[in-house]
Amino acid sequence: MTTRTEKRLSYAVLVLPALIIYLSVVAFPTIFSILLSLTNYNGGLIFGNPDIHFVGLKSYIWMFTEPMGNFYQALGNNLLIVAVSVFGQIPLGFGLAYILSRRLIGRGNKLFQTMIYLPNVISSIIIGVLFNAIIYGRNSVLMEVKRLFNPSAVFTLNPNPMVPVLVVILWMFTGFYMIIFLANLQRIDPAIIEAARIDGAKEFRILWHITLPALSGVIVTTAILAISGSLKSFDLIYAMTNGGPAGKTRVLSLFMYESAFRGSPNYPLANAISTVMVLISIVLIIVVQRLGKTFGTKED
Amino acid sequence: MDKRNVSLPVKIVIYAVMIIFTVLTVYPILWLVLQSFKTSTTYLTTNKLSLPAKWYTGNYPFVLVQGNYLNFFYNSLIYSAVTVPAVVILSNMAGYAFAKIPFKITRWLYGLFIVGILLTLQSILIPLFLMVSAAKLHDTRLAVLIPYIALGLPMGVYLCTDFIKSIHNELLESARIDGASFMRIFTRIIFPMSAPVSVTLAIITFTGTWNEFILMSLMISSEKYKAIPYAVGRYAGSLGSDYGKLFTSLTVALIPILVFYFIFRNQITKGVAAGAVKG
Repeated sequence: MTTRTEKRLSYAVLVLPALIIYLSVVAFPTIFSILLSLTNYNGGLIFGNPDIHFVGLKSYIWMFTEPMGNFYQALGNNLLIVAVSVFGQIPLGFGLAYILSRRLIGRGNKLFQTMIYLPNVISSIIIGVLFNAIIYGRNSVLMEVKRLFNPSAVFTLNPNPMVPVLVVILWMFTGFYMIIFLANLQRIDPAIIEAARIDGAKEFRILWHITLPALSGVIVTTAILAISGSLKSFDLIYAMTNGGPAGKTRVLSLFMYESAFRGSPNYPLANAISTVMVLISIVLIIVVQRLGKTFGTKED
Repeated sequence: MDKRNVSLPVKIVIYAVMIIFTVLTVYPILWLVLQSFKTSTTYLTTNKLSLPAKWYTGNYPFVLVQGNYLNFFYNSLIYSAVTVPAVVILSNMAGYAFAKIPFKITRWLYGLFIVGILLTLQSILIPLFLMVSAAKLHDTRLAVLIPYIALGLPMGVYLCTDFIKSIHNELLESARIDGASFMRIFTRIIFPMSAPVSVTLAIITFTGTWNEFILMSLMISSEKYKAIPYAVGRYAGSLGSDYGKLFTSLTVALIPILVFYFIFRNQITKGVAAGAVKG
């Protein structure tokens, strides 16, 4: 066996197992889903089924124009989740990471970090069921607290059901952004900060002129993570509100799931929602690649 | 970094902020564990924020035995025990090829995996469901195991390729000159040397697999193959009947991952940071 053959063969043996599994489970279904969204396929046989027709963008047009506006409701909720990340979790996470990284506190640094990150390792289903019991219903903890202040308080439906969901999302993932900022803050050369301090720069000036510019790439990365995280949010809302009441807390992924797997299935609609999610992901990927070039090294 | 000489009032404010955040984060979880020691009647009739007056432990045997939690726990272990090594080994193999065996096609193949990091699982659920049914794998362990492995690969390949690139070429070249094959270099040099990234990847994959819910609920219908997140999900949306058992089942589901987190907390946070740097 020549070296060249061995090289090719080894490359194939090393790459193919991962590649085949990945292509068949992730890449192929992605394309499959887009193709299905252009047909009227709604369950049953796929191949050799005479009832399947190419219908073009019919499902999309219906999704965008149906009178209930379910798609826009779900998309709006996804955007709310992104907004909570961008305006809540990212600044809070940065603030906490900054306190931890500058060692403004001595004792308990590691403990704070461990505890604030904790909700991230817990299954979103557990968190969702837990907060359902805390927030919703006549027997909830929230009602108990309300009665503490007003003994005659009666149970009413929350007019803004997304608010509790957003609070729980804020609660859950702030620690995630804290960890990302902390890791990147620790990479900033302490000598630069020390030099600035010797030159008489105050804490705030160091933050504004050294730390934040050094983190510009990371801040963009976290914003992208927020969008992709919002697209991936499913478990928590499924367990906490199940999209209710009346679909008011649905996100795109839950809307897709309900269209496909609950009640009478509507696969064309579900596939159209999926395709929109894939398109958003693809736009994100392109943005990430562009940014990788702008900010030089991809890693930092 | 340095220890700053901050003034006392500032220090108090900072400590207060950190303590408030920590308490807000941990309190709901602690509350949950405490409620598992109440009967449903006690929970409904007494102050919900109070400690249990009598520590009732009867919910636990019920959940573990009648609630079938031992079975769910066993399945969770199996899914993780297969997925984690498979993702670690396959990612290291591909990572080695991508990082150290130059081929023009690497650029494309590697890019294909990277795209997967940002793709969402939910957007491929229907085709995946149809494929699993067509392959007659529905309601088998393989129906979730194969997707679990595949979904771990994008991050795995990214982390491994990145790490293996940093291994010195001289070492690998001298092994080549001594007549070692690529496969031998992989098993004897690359795989042992990439242990740190393998640990990180194993931890990320484990938490992901252990907590996975949506594939589990779609691909498997009989309870004997279901895992812990499903057991908890049974209560989703259908609350009200038995709070004592509900809180106990949540606590039981919580304990393994909490133990795991407190053992590996440093590696977990490090791994998250490494994985998220690129996004």
